[in-house]
Amino acid sequence: MTDPIAKQQIETRTKLKRRRSDLPFFLVMSGISSCFVLLIVLLLAADLMFTSFEDFRAAVMKPAIQSAFRLTILSCTIAALLSIWVATPLGYLLSRYRFPGRLLIDTIVDIPIVLPPLVLGLSLLILFHLPIGNWELEAWLRDDVGFPVTYRWPAVILAQFSVSCAFAVRTMRVTFDQINPRAEDVARTLGCTRGQAFLQIALPQSWRGMIAATTIAWARALGEFGPILVFAGATRMRTEVLSTTVFLELSIGQLNAAVAVSLLMVAMAVVVLVVLRVLGTGLTS
Amino acid sequence: MNKMLVVMFGSIVVLALMIWMLQSKPNSGDSSGTPGDAQTNSKKEPLMFFCAASNRAVMEKIVADYKKEYGREIELQYGGSQTLLSQLEVTGAGDLYLPADDSYLKIAKDRKLVSEILPIAKMEVVVAVKKGNPKSIETFEDLLREDVKLVQANPDATAVGKVTRRMLTESGQWDSLDKSTTAYRTTVTEAANDLLVGAADAAIVYDAVLHTYPDLEFVTLPEFAAGTSQVALGVARQTRQPSAALHFSRYVTARDRGLANYAKHGFQVEQGDIWSETPELNLFAGSMLRPAIEDTVKQFEAREGVRVNTVYNGCGILVAQMKAGQVPDAYFACDTEFMEQVPDLFPEPTDVSQNELVIIVKKGNPKQIAGLRDLTKEGLRVGIGHEKQCAMGWVTQNTFREGGVQQEVMENVTVQTPTGDMLVNQMRAGSLDAAVVYLSNTAGSGDFLDAIRIQGLDCSVATQPYAITPDSPNALTASRLFAQICSTDSQDSFMAEGFRWKLETESSADND
Repeated sequence: MTDPIAKQQIETRTKLKRRRSDLPFFLVMSGISSCFVLLIVLLLAADLMFTSFEDFRAAVMKPAIQSAFRLTILSCTIAALLSIWVATPLGYLLSRYRFPGRLLIDTIVDIPIVLPPLVLGLSLLILFHLPIGNWELEAWLRDDVGFPVTYRWPAVILAQFSVSCAFAVRTMRVTFDQINPRAEDVARTLGCTRGQAFLQIALPQSWRGMIAATTIAWARALGEFGPILVFAGATRMRTEVLSTTVFLELSIGQLNAAVAVSLLMVAMAVVVLVVLRVLGTGLTS
Repeated sequence: MNKMLVVMFGSIVVLALMIWMLQSKPNSGDSSGTPGDAQTNSKKEPLMFFCAASNRAVMEKIVADYKKEYGREIELQYGGSQTLLSQLEVTGAGDLYLPADDSYLKIAKDRKLVSEILPIAKMEVVVAVKKGNPKSIETFEDLLREDVKLVQANPDATAVGKVTRRMLTESGQWDSLDKSTTAYRTTVTEAANDLLVGAADAAIVYDAVLHTYPDLEFVTLPEFAAGTSQVALGVARQTRQPSAALHFSRYVTARDRGLANYAKHGFQVEQGDIWSETPELNLFAGSMLRPAIEDTVKQFEAREGVRVNTVYNGCGILVAQMKAGQVPDAYFACDTEFMEQVPDLFPEPTDVSQNELVIIVKKGNPKQIAGLRDLTKEGLRVGIGHEKQCAMGWVTQNTFREGGVQQEVMENVTVQTPTGDMLVNQMRAGSLDAAVVYLSNTAGSGDFLDAIRIQGLDCSVATQPYAITPDSPNALTASRLFAQICSTDSQDSFMAEGFRWKLETESSADND
C-alpha cells in the first residue's frame, strides 16, 4: 500500500526537479549575455561620468560641431541609401545565380571589410589622382564636370559608401540565401519573368533584411573615420564629420569635448536604430 | 507591391533631397570648390593648409585673425603629420604644410614637395606628470621606479620618441628607460591623454603639447636638455598661389602676429620678422654679383610678393655707406675682406661662391702675355680695380704682392676703376692692353677677349660671403632669399657667369 504513495511522491519530486532545472539554464544564459551588455552599459556610464552636462552643451553649441552633426546625418543617410540600392541587386545575384567569376566577385565585395581603413582612404585618394597619360580623374571631374570630389563632401560619402556597402551586400546576400527560391520558381512557372519574380516575390520577403542592411550600412558609415580622414580630410565646417571631430578634439587633449561628441554619436545611433527598427516592424506587419 | 514601390520612390526622393541640401548649404557643403566660383564669391581663392592636429588650437586663432584682417579664406585640413604628408604627395594639391615637428618638413623637402620652410617655435622634451606631481618624479631615476607607470611616444613613429631615444642612447641610459616603459603610444597626445585618464603616472612629451592640458604639469630633467625640436611651416612647391601662401606664412611667423599667439599657447617662439603686408628687403651686393643674382632676386620677388631693393656697387663704397649708417637687411660681399670690415652688423657670414682673377687681353693675345710677370713689360697699358673701392682691386693688390710684381706692375697701371665691367669696356674700346678682372666679368666677351689664368696664387681667388643683419625686421625673409640664391637654378647661373660654387650642398644651405 505504501508503494503507490511512495511512487507518487517520487514522481512529484522528479517533476519538481525538472521544473527547477530551468533556473540554472536561464542563469547561465543570461549571465553570459549580460557580460556583454554590462560592458557596453559600463562604457557609456564611464563616458557619462567623465563628462558633464555643461561640457556636452558647450560641445553641442559649437558651430563647427553643429555643422559636423548635420554633415554626418546627411552623409550617413545618403551612404546607407546608396548602399541598399547597390546591395539588394548584388546580394540577390550572388545568392541566386552560379555564374563564372562569382567567387571572385564575392571576394572583391569583402575587400573593404578586411582592408585597414587608412589603406582604403589612401587607395581612393590615389585612384582619383593617378595620372593616366595626361588624364586624371579628379582633374576631369573638377575642370570638365565641375564636380570636384577630393576634400569635399562627395569624398566623405564615397569613403563611407565604400565600406558600408560591403556590409550591406553581406547582409542582403544572407537574407536572400534564407528565402526559399521555390516561391520564385513557382511564380516563374506561372508566367512571371525573372524581373517580376524578383520584384514581386523576392523583394517583399526580404524587407527585414533590407532594413537590417540599411541599419548596418548607416551605423558603419557613422563610425567610419580612417578613409574619411585621408580622402576627404578633416576641414572644419566642410568635411568634418563627428568621428573626425572626436579625433580632432582628442589630438589637442580636449578629452571632455571628445567624450561629449562621442555621446552625441551614441544618442544619434540609438535614435536612428530605433526608428529603423520600428519602421522595419511596421513594414513587415 | 504598392508599399514597396512607394518606399523605393521615397528613398530616391530622400536621396536627392539630401544631396541638394549638401550642395546648397554654404558652410558645410560649399559647392564653390572650383577656383573660378570661389573667386567670384570672395575675390580671393582660399588656401589649402595641411595642419598637424596638435597645432589646431593656436592655428584656428591665427587663421581667424588673418581672415579678419585680409579676408582670405584658409581651409584648414587636420590630420597626423604623416597622413598629411601623404596627402600632399598623392594629390599634388595644397598650399601649406605644418607638421608636428620639422623632421617631416625635411622629408617633404627631400621629396621636393616643399620649397620654403619658415621656422615658428621650439619645443623641448619634458616629463609630464599629473598636477601636483603626486608620484614626486624629480629625477631621471624616478622614472625607473617600479611604482611609476611611464608611457612614451613610439620612437619610430613620432619625433619626440625619436629625439628621446637618440639622446638617451648617446648617454647610455636608453636601455634602462626602455625596460621601465609601460607602453609606447603612436602619438604624443595619446601619451598625454593616458596621464589624464590615469592610465600612466609619467609621460615623455614636448612641453608645448601640455598647454591644452590644465590638469598636467611638467618636470624638466637635465638628461633631456639636448632634446629640442622645431615647429615650422612649409610652403608647397606646387602651390598655384605662391605669393598668397607666403603672405599667410609671413603672417604666421611674424613676431607681432602669429608668433604672439604661439607664445600664448606655450611655445618657445623663434625671433620672427616684424609684420608688414609687403615687406621691403634692402640688399647690398657687390656689382660683380649682379649678373649672377639678378634673375634669382626677380623670381624671389615674384614668388614672395615682396620688394627687394638691391644696391649694386663696389664693395668699398657699400662698406662706406654702411659705416655711415645705412644698414641693409642683407649684404652679399665680393670678398670676405669687405665683410670683415663690418663685423658688428654681420657677425655670421656664409661663404657662397668664389671668383678667380684673370688677366684679360685682346683676342689672340697680341702682346704675348702668359702670366703676372708679363704685365711688367715696358709700355704696356694695364687696368686694375681700385683697391679701396672694390674687392677686386684689393684682391689684385694682394696677388701682385704675393707674386712679387707689385711695384713693377703698378708702374704700368694707367687706370683704376671701381668695377671690373668698366675695365672690360675699356679693353673693348682699345684703351688698354691688359686688365686684371674677375673671370665672371669676362662672361659674354669671349669674341673680343682672351682670359689668362693666374697660376699658383691662392690669394687671386675672391670668396663671396652672404650675411643677414640679426637686427633686421625682415631677417627671415632675407634668409629665404638666401635659400633661393642657394637653389640649383641659381647655382647654375653663378656657374654660367664664371663663378665657382663654394657652399657645400643645396640642402645644407636651405636648412639654415
